[in-house]
Amino acid sequence: MSIVDSLPGASAMEGLLNHRPQLSAQYRVFYESFWRDGLVPRRVLALTRLRIAYIHSCVAELQIVDAQASVSANEHDQLSRGHIAGFSESEQSALKLAEQMPHSVHQITDDQVQAAAQHFGHPGCVALLTALAFFDVNCRLKLVYEIPALESETSPECESQL
Amino acid sequence: MSTTPRLPAVDSAEPATFAGVTAHAPKMMRDFFGVYAEFWQNGVVAAEVKEMTRLRNARMTDCGY
Repeated sequence: MSIVDSLPGASAMEGLLNHRPQLSAQYRVFYESFWRDGLVPRRVLALTRLRIAYIHSCVAELQIVDAQASVSANEHDQLSRGHIAGFSESEQSALKLAEQMPHSVHQITDDQVQAAAQHFGHPGCVALLTALAFFDVNCRLKLVYEIPALESETSPECESQL
Repeated sequence: MSTTPRLPAVDSAEPATFAGVTAHAPKMMRDFFGVYAEFWQNGVVAAEVKEMTRLRNARMTDCGY
């Protein structure tokens, strides 16, 4: 039994974070704000979260789905390969930023940020960049903790699952 | 990498600091600063260790900010 298995909580990730209950609770409130505040379209959040999870090969994150933001099997395949041509212009602008966030953040260009700002506005662009950073953080945490993939076929929804 | 802020501060008369730019999404950033304050003000990891690792992380990611 790993440390993850021995901890209480709604998920293995939360079980670990609950060693610091107050920190865990505040992190949940913050993480939920990406969906709650509505500054970035829900589908854009879904696509970028999945792309970052694919970049990290983070199975535990890939298992989390957003039932309110339909992503087809073909789109999953495209995201897994980093092929973004089939997505809308606004989605592509977000996916280009997502592509760089995990390993090449210094290669993000002014034009890429400006494109996102044009599509989502300044509030949306700030929310998007922050969400991308924390999608990356969540994958890194799950990988370093070796959070296991879910055995159940029931997929949790993303805003309620860290 | 650009050294010019890519987004303006909410108050255009103010310089584009981290707080000023992220204030475009005030509710989200209020929640972020709540997490960050909890991280720094409480817990069992010594403040010196947190600061040391923060600085090392900034070096590794080449973040002069």
